[in-house]
Amino acid sequence: MIQFELSDDQKQIQALARSFVRDNVIPVAAQHDREETYPATVVEAAHAVGLLNVSVPESVGGLGLSMLDEALIGEEFGYGCMGIYTILMASELGIMPLLLAATQEQQERFLGPLVEGPRLAAFALSEPNNGSDAGGLRTRAVFDGDEIVISGTKTWISNGGLADFNVVFASFEPALKHKGTVAVVVEKDRPGLSTNKLHGKLGQRASPTYEMFFDDVRVPVSNMLGEKGDGFKIAMRTLDKTRIPVAAGAVGVLRRALDESRKYANEREAFGRTIAQFQAIQFKLANMKIALETARLQTWYAAWLADTGRPHAEAAAIAKAYASDSAFDAAQEAINVFGGYGYMNEYPVEKLMRDVKLNQIFEGTNEIQRVVIARHVLQ
Amino acid sequence: MILIVTTASGGTLPKSARELVSVARELASGAQVAAAVVGPEAAAAEMANYVPQVYALTSDALQPLRAEALTAAVQQVAAAAGANTVIMAANRLGQSVAPRVAVRLNAALLEDVIQVSGTAGAYEAVRYSYLSRVTETVRTVGGDATVITVKPNVFAVAEPQPGGAVTAHAPQLDASASRVSVGQRSAASGGRVKLEEASVVVAGGRGLGSADAFTALVEPMADVLNAGVASTRAVVDAGWRPYAEQVGQTGKSVAPELYIALGISGAVQHLSGMNRSKVIVAVNKDADAPIFRIVDYGIVGDVAQVAPALTAALKEAKGS
Amino acid sequence: MKLITVLKQVPDAEARIRAGAAGVDLDGVTFVIDGMDEYGVEEAIRLREAGNEVEIVALALGPARYEEAIRTALALGADRAVHIETDVDLDPISQARVLAQVVQQEGADMVLVGGKQADWDSAALGPALAEVLGWPHSDWTTKLELAAGSVTVEHDTDDGHESLSMPLPAVITTQQGLNEPRYPTLPNIMKAKRKELAKRALDEFGAGAGLTQITSQQIQTRERLGKVIEGDAASAAAELVRLLQSEAKVL
Repeated sequence: MIQFELSDDQKQIQALARSFVRDNVIPVAAQHDREETYPATVVEAAHAVGLLNVSVPESVGGLGLSMLDEALIGEEFGYGCMGIYTILMASELGIMPLLLAATQEQQERFLGPLVEGPRLAAFALSEPNNGSDAGGLRTRAVFDGDEIVISGTKTWISNGGLADFNVVFASFEPALKHKGTVAVVVEKDRPGLSTNKLHGKLGQRASPTYEMFFDDVRVPVSNMLGEKGDGFKIAMRTLDKTRIPVAAGAVGVLRRALDESRKYANEREAFGRTIAQFQAIQFKLANMKIALETARLQTWYAAWLADTGRPHAEAAAIAKAYASDSAFDAAQEAINVFGGYGYMNEYPVEKLMRDVKLNQIFEGTNEIQRVVIARHVLQ
Repeated sequence: MILIVTTASGGTLPKSARELVSVARELASGAQVAAAVVGPEAAAAEMANYVPQVYALTSDALQPLRAEALTAAVQQVAAAAGANTVIMAANRLGQSVAPRVAVRLNAALLEDVIQVSGTAGAYEAVRYSYLSRVTETVRTVGGDATVITVKPNVFAVAEPQPGGAVTAHAPQLDASASRVSVGQRSAASGGRVKLEEASVVVAGGRGLGSADAFTALVEPMADVLNAGVASTRAVVDAGWRPYAEQVGQTGKSVAPELYIALGISGAVQHLSGMNRSKVIVAVNKDADAPIFRIVDYGIVGDVAQVAPALTAALKEAKGS
Repeated sequence: MKLITVLKQVPDAEARIRAGAAGVDLDGVTFVIDGMDEYGVEEAIRLREAGNEVEIVALALGPARYEEAIRTALALGADRAVHIETDVDLDPISQARVLAQVVQQEGADMVLVGGKQADWDSAALGPALAEVLGWPHSDWTTKLELAAGSVTVEHDTDDGHESLSMPLPAVITTQQGLNEPRYPTLPNIMKAKRKELAKRALDEFGAGAGLTQITSQQIQTRERLGKVIEGDAASAAAELVRLLQSEAKVL
């Protein structure tokens, strides 16, 4: 039997996220986008109602929400502002390696504090010369007694300079490639760690993105997740899950593109009638709707697979690639519906396109998603 | 027998009382109409120009007026008059007293009606629901009597039919009628025409920018038009204006000849309180504001400039 | 003391309402706890936060879908809930007779109920409940203070507002201005599922078929001219006045 109904809890989570976004995110989204500023008050408010770091397990004081719950929240935030959602999403991304590989002691030490205040986690994988090729890491981890010494540079790290901790992926033995990598939790205040906020992003400008410099940063070996050699595996298993919220955020953008287009089409008149009466516009709306329904279904399906412990890498890749590609198309078509106004930042649709462009790129480009999917197809 | 219940707090009959007379006459079709008038003798005498039988409720026990005391009094007058139908205005007092009376008389309640027909035991009424977005027809299917509240400013004001008799009625009230003690009272906007009775309403919203701007832009226009002043919930929430001026789901419901909305975006909760106005005018800088979907005339522009210009133009038109 | 907050679940104010031959069609509409009732829930929570020993019971009469609104009230801070589950559309007077029985069984000290329902546009439930119970009542309440055995309120009247004080038990109808309702937090939403939600059947209360019946419903439409007047402030104002005089004839 297939059950498509959300549980009462999930409906409540969705309703809460929806009203939160309506009251706290939408009114400030354009301003943070324009000024490229960090929405501290939104993050504080999200923490106050419990929408921040929702995946932290109950055993360390969190809510332990499922991936489907996260997808519901992601769609609502994506509807309001994909950039602001990336702050929350990237924090969950920083938490995920600990859910997969941390000991109870590590979870208590690192995740416990995340529920006590508006605090963030981050995930530091990408490097200046190395994006999706996680096996070719240049950041080095040298084991020195009971310490690990990290050196190198990471970039495109969402939340990196703000987060309480980053999960840093580094190589202790480049010759071993994937098997020579580790995942290490590096707290914000470790000597030798410095960060630089990147400016000039096309979209998602409310989300702070960092370069991070590790200049012989020492952390205890007890900060390592799993075993020596687990780094790559932890990173891949993390991304197999966290692509689902990326998809969910894109679904939100898609829904917004459709809503804004529908509203505008019903109001704007040309040739003596509303443009909604023209088939050229109707087809655009219909295509957005087709994409919305299918993208959401695939996202929820991937989340359900992940929540029920089934293989989900392929489904998550499909969801991420399809939702972000079709959200980009929808945002782009929304600009066409708005005509010249769509090109102006006074109207909300050009931001949708700029923002969701990033969903096609981060957490594995959509080309990489297709590599993953093809691998499953050919298996 | 149809019993009209009205108060005359200012000493004279409110406009709604004569609207109730119209409703009662329409429903009576030969049956008797009586009225209970709470207030001074003079108001009861005035009512005798409209209905054949008037019960004057002049008792001090009804001042200040409390819902429970009025409920008891209405029940007694209804019994004395042999009324099977009680009608009241759907103002705040009526909305609170009518349900109580309905419970006491084991009556069906028709609330806030804009049309009503039929005879006792089988009335059919038209009213609004879903924040005034739906018009529905409701009929009574049970109860020993019917209590009806009538939406103000919908029915025509009745013409006099002098010659009615006035009977004094002293209600027998038990302790429960006075257990609510009334402290400080404050009346709304002094001097200005009552919002519910105004034929022109000038309303201001958050788009005016500040309490001072509200005063500076709305009040002069209301003065020129002898209009009531109304506010949106956002304005009241911000503390710019008193609740008594609020129009919408949580405030008053008005249907004047002319409603001028200044700096109001038009949330559905506000629209539900004014969307039956005969002519709606809006001034707002946002061309996409929902208010423009229900206007007869709209000006897209800065209200700080348009409102004074409009006030001046209205003044000139009124003067000529 | 025991507080009962009466809840309705209504279409979201922003939801688009449709009507068919069978009346209003609520299929696919988003439902929310009636905003007017939410003020009552919030006020009850605030009375507890102010240090009063209170038990808050959410009470609702309506179809199965109401459970969501009830869960919201539990997530906001109600301790437990009673749901009289029925698909019968009872009129407010008949509803009051049913709800009053639960209020009496619970031995409540105060009932909080929204001032006007966003679906039926009815303001009758609060006063009718007070009458069935034989309790005093404050309508359109904007401020509430508890004292020993009594409550002092401010409420709106037709002419302005006034303060009232009345002995408990009492019925308070709530409205905007009383407080600013909070969100349910996610942790409280999760905890709410462990709170008691008792189901009762309408048959238990001897309710009849009701006193009124809705026979038809249509979406209210009114043709509007929808004219947008162009020009600078002075010329637009002059044109508007001309139209009000010569076309609309309302000046």
